[in-house]
Amino acid sequence: MSLSRFLAPCMAAVLLSTACAAPAPRHGVPIEPALPRPSFTLTDTRGIPFEFGQETRGLLTFLFFGYTNCPDVCPVHVANVAAVLRKLPFEDQRKARFVFVTADPARDSLSALRRWLDQFDASFIGLRGDEAEVIRIMSGIGLPPAIRGAAGPDGRYEVGHPATVIVFTADDSAHVLYPFGTRQLDWAEDIPRLLRVRRQRED
Amino acid sequence: MQWWCSASGQPWTWAPQYYPGVWLMVAVLAVVYHALSRRGRAMGESRGLFWGGWLAVGLVWQVLDWPIGPLAAGYLASAHAVQFVVLALVAPPLLLVAARRPLAAAVPASGRTRALISFVTQPVVAGVIFNLVAIATHVPAVVDGLMPSQAGAFTIDLLWLVGGLVLWWPVIVAAPPRPWFSAPVRMLYLFLATLVHTGIAMVMLVRDFPMYGIYELAPPWPAWSPLEDQHLAGGVMELAGAAVIFGIITVMFFRWSGGVDGDAAPPAPPRD
Repeated sequence: MSLSRFLAPCMAAVLLSTACAAPAPRHGVPIEPALPRPSFTLTDTRGIPFEFGQETRGLLTFLFFGYTNCPDVCPVHVANVAAVLRKLPFEDQRKARFVFVTADPARDSLSALRRWLDQFDASFIGLRGDEAEVIRIMSGIGLPPAIRGAAGPDGRYEVGHPATVIVFTADDSAHVLYPFGTRQLDWAEDIPRLLRVRRQRED
Repeated sequence: MQWWCSASGQPWTWAPQYYPGVWLMVAVLAVVYHALSRRGRAMGESRGLFWGGWLAVGLVWQVLDWPIGPLAAGYLASAHAVQFVVLALVAPPLLLVAARRPLAAAVPASGRTRALISFVTQPVVAGVIFNLVAIATHVPAVVDGLMPSQAGAFTIDLLWLVGGLVLWWPVIVAAPPRPWFSAPVRMLYLFLATLVHTGIAMVMLVRDFPMYGIYELAPPWPAWSPLEDQHLAGGVMELAGAAVIFGIITVMFFRWSGGVDGDAAPPAPPRD
């Protein structure tokens, strides 16, 4: 076999793989090795068991652990994702899910969770489980556990929790996470790229 | 206690905050204005003009102190736009109009100070200075970089007030005298000099995403989103700014067409 006959298919393969590869996200923190989409079951805001791995399989999924009494990080992070998802074409919106798991099940009832999420987007999924279960899920995906702070004189308390949104792409893996401070413009640049992972597979 | 309002990142509270730096600055402004207004009265300025100056001192105090000051520093771009309109476009003409005679008299007849004042208050230079200040203090990286620190927030507020005084000086004080800078030219100057801030307001109005990280990532304000707030800020700059400028241009036009061209024609400074 001549050298050119050997190189041609190799070069074609390289070019093809380069053309099909989804562009890498420009923001966020890479997760290496990629995190496989976890399987866990919690209760959604309709009171029905929600099996995360199964219900979100193949979809661009934003997973965030927070609480509805959070005064700063949670509402800002969730609002920024919601603002950008709203601007996506309808077809792309259908391929995305935002899943919010409460890290404060003592105060976040299912109805409170629903009311809070509806401020941002009625399609956002709210999940609740007992505290031990949520901590187990968080540690299973490498997140530190949520910690309840000391209550003030009025009985109110804050919950320390990871301020990161983990994004699972259509290959059922998370390659990047987004800490607090991610701007809407950052999401607007990255979400189409993250959606391309699915297209790559579909192509 | 902070001495000047800056972006803290803490959730907004209606509990009053105290900013001694703001009080000090307003006190200095009030003392200087009081001294100038006494001299102005002695030089024959009408009493009514001085109330405008005191209104300006009051407005400066209100937009720098709680609650507008801290809201503008770290929560709402719209409050920041109100600050810009007041500090750069409303307060300076009110302050200068009553103090124009003593200010004109204070310009030395010769020397470096006169040369400096003459250069800075040349209409083209003054317009460029004001617009450079307007542009620089609205660049997102500059705003996000300066507003979290008290010194940075103070710098922006001070630049707006000083930039506004520089912008309005040639129109109102007109010292050193420039015969070519007649009423029609002054109207054109005001129109041209404020086109840039109108452009900045337009950018804020049409952008699809929040421009400023400090407002986008600030603890949420319940009434509106950061993008709605930015649009509101653009509207305030656009409409309130235009109302001030075109209001003054309209008054100047009718005074000029009625044969009165005295707004910017105080007596020439006394020569030694």
